[in-house]
Amino acid sequence: MFLMFDEHERTHKMANSEKCRKKTLVVGVGNPILSDDGVGIRVARLLKEMEIPNVDVEELSASGLELLDMVLGYDKVVIVDAIITEGGTPGTFYTMEESDFERTIHGASPHGVNVATALALGRRLAGDRMPSETSFIAIEVADIVNVSESLTPEVAAAVPSVVRKIITDLAKD
Amino acid sequence: MIHLSPPVINDTPTKTTGKKITIDPITRLEGHGKIEIFLNDQGNVANAYLQVPELRGFERFCIGRHVQELPVLTNRLCGVCPAAHHIASTKALDAVFDAEPTETARKLRELFYMGQYTHSHIAHFYALAAPDFVLGPSAPSSKRNVLGVVDAVGVEIGAEVIKHRSYGQKVQEIIGGRATHPCFGLPGGVSKQISEEERAQMEEMARSCVDFAKDTVKLFHDVVLANQDYMNLVLNQDAYYLETYYMGMVDKDNKTNFYDGDIRVVDQTGREVVKFKPKEYLDVIAEHVEPWTYMKMPFLKQVGWNGFSDGPSSGIYRVGPLGRINVCEGYTTPMAQAEYETLAKTVKDLGVTGPVHYTLAFHWARVIELQYATERMLELASDRSITSDDIRGEVNEPTEGVGICEAPRGTLIHHYASDMDGLCTMINMIVATTNNYAAINTSVVQAAKALIKDGEISPGLLNKVEMAFRCYDPCNSCGTHALNGAPALELNVRNADGSKLKTLTNF
Repeated sequence: MFLMFDEHERTHKMANSEKCRKKTLVVGVGNPILSDDGVGIRVARLLKEMEIPNVDVEELSASGLELLDMVLGYDKVVIVDAIITEGGTPGTFYTMEESDFERTIHGASPHGVNVATALALGRRLAGDRMPSETSFIAIEVADIVNVSESLTPEVAAAVPSVVRKIITDLAKD
Repeated sequence: MIHLSPPVINDTPTKTTGKKITIDPITRLEGHGKIEIFLNDQGNVANAYLQVPELRGFERFCIGRHVQELPVLTNRLCGVCPAAHHIASTKALDAVFDAEPTETARKLRELFYMGQYTHSHIAHFYALAAPDFVLGPSAPSSKRNVLGVVDAVGVEIGAEVIKHRSYGQKVQEIIGGRATHPCFGLPGGVSKQISEEERAQMEEMARSCVDFAKDTVKLFHDVVLANQDYMNLVLNQDAYYLETYYMGMVDKDNKTNFYDGDIRVVDQTGREVVKFKPKEYLDVIAEHVEPWTYMKMPFLKQVGWNGFSDGPSSGIYRVGPLGRINVCEGYTTPMAQAEYETLAKTVKDLGVTGPVHYTLAFHWARVIELQYATERMLELASDRSITSDDIRGEVNEPTEGVGICEAPRGTLIHHYASDMDGLCTMINMIVATTNNYAAINTSVVQAAKALIKDGEISPGLLNKVEMAFRCYDPCNSCGTHALNGAPALELNVRNADGSKLKTLTNF
């Protein structure tokens, strides 16, 4: 019955990427010209340079439904993004689960579909192609208002630690 | 005909004794926004404000960069309609470099752009508008979302929605280099030729999208037009009706065009007020500033700013699907034209002459535009000449230029000036939602005044206030992507001194 990508799309995807998909996808989410909002992108770029076996790395400057397009076909997905919590210290980071985001309304959501809703929609419509494991690394940020290609110092300092954390976690698989 | 459970149109309001109601942040609005509703002593609405935050420093960020970077920088303003920014920016570069794009480049840009419309209008209709129509404006907020819509209409239709939205993305990716944040626009052309295989792939996807759009139009008829309760809402002139000016792009025959043409403005009776070229926009549009919000409010210069009001003496105009359908004299594609005529006949039967002033008619206009975008996508993708390698025109010394296209949300203006070295010395942008901002605020005030009486409020009533601006598909997001957001919908009831009496939430 339903296929989110039909045959010619799949062929195209394979021709364009890796012949077949790797098991794990790391997605850095953010806007690279909006100060700390781009921290997920910075992490993704560092990971991509490392060319880790069986791990694809993508950048995403929108999420919600766009994220859904991206994660199909992977076993495991790690999403790296900025977060602001009440009283949080910029540069700290948290490992979070999908259920933590059920109440968010913005969350980089093109057309107002948050991450949890998008993933739930994916399972409803294409459950067999959705990753069995989705985790989030959320980095506490300070500035997501000023247009800039630079991170604030505390957030920039956290990037190597986040990269190490992801590599360590992936090595456990 | 799809058989659905009856939508929940109304719920039971409860009395509040506060004087200030805050809806913050607004659900299903792109980017954070906040509505403040102030009550008078009788508990009726004294006034309402839609406040919009803004990113800082974008202009400063662009000055001194090479103008050819702007199509990939300006599209980072927004994760929602980057393709529209990319197209307007590329057209501005055509003007800056006095470069005429080749026929192939024009067709590829427009085909790419039809992919953006297909993706954007599908997402708005099914993810943002349909929850109100399929489940009802007063359905519990936990159900009134895209998952609730899928539960109601079935996974097969849900799957078709995702598939065709994804086709729109795919067309953009093939031509634009990336599905989101494209990078193919150059002054006088595009950066990449497409292959016959890619063309054929796009043609096949476009054909499927045409059929899907047809099904969407039918769904709109079945769910909205056939439901008298909804029609009563749509036709509620106290809550959802403004007699404004309208603005949108048309071709030489006054048919809607999203990619290129002149900008036409009509008045409350449908009479043409002005038709202008992109470079003349400053002769037509001026901007008003309010102290309580970051976003400026454009208005028609020749009419003037007359506060948040409609009618011929107020320079407020509306853009987007409703603006475009009111300034055009039809569509160049058969199925969109047929549905346009159905709309025209329907409103004529209601006694309407001239433009459609019903705010909620934005939704009908949007599904007609989805049909047009898919048909135009098929026309262009079927044209074998688009695989030509003639994709770059000649460029000249950089100076100054304006590019305009119709973003899904309305008229989008980019204006740049460059020095002799191609470095940006000036940038001005008027984006679609900004063009609509004064009208959106006026609609919010109107709906709040009509729907909130004697201090009685409920989640359903507040959602109906939100519906007054949601139909504009407003987008203030500009790309902020932090994972968490504030609570879904919060309503603060405050005393006149600002102290909080009570908080209601819908989550």
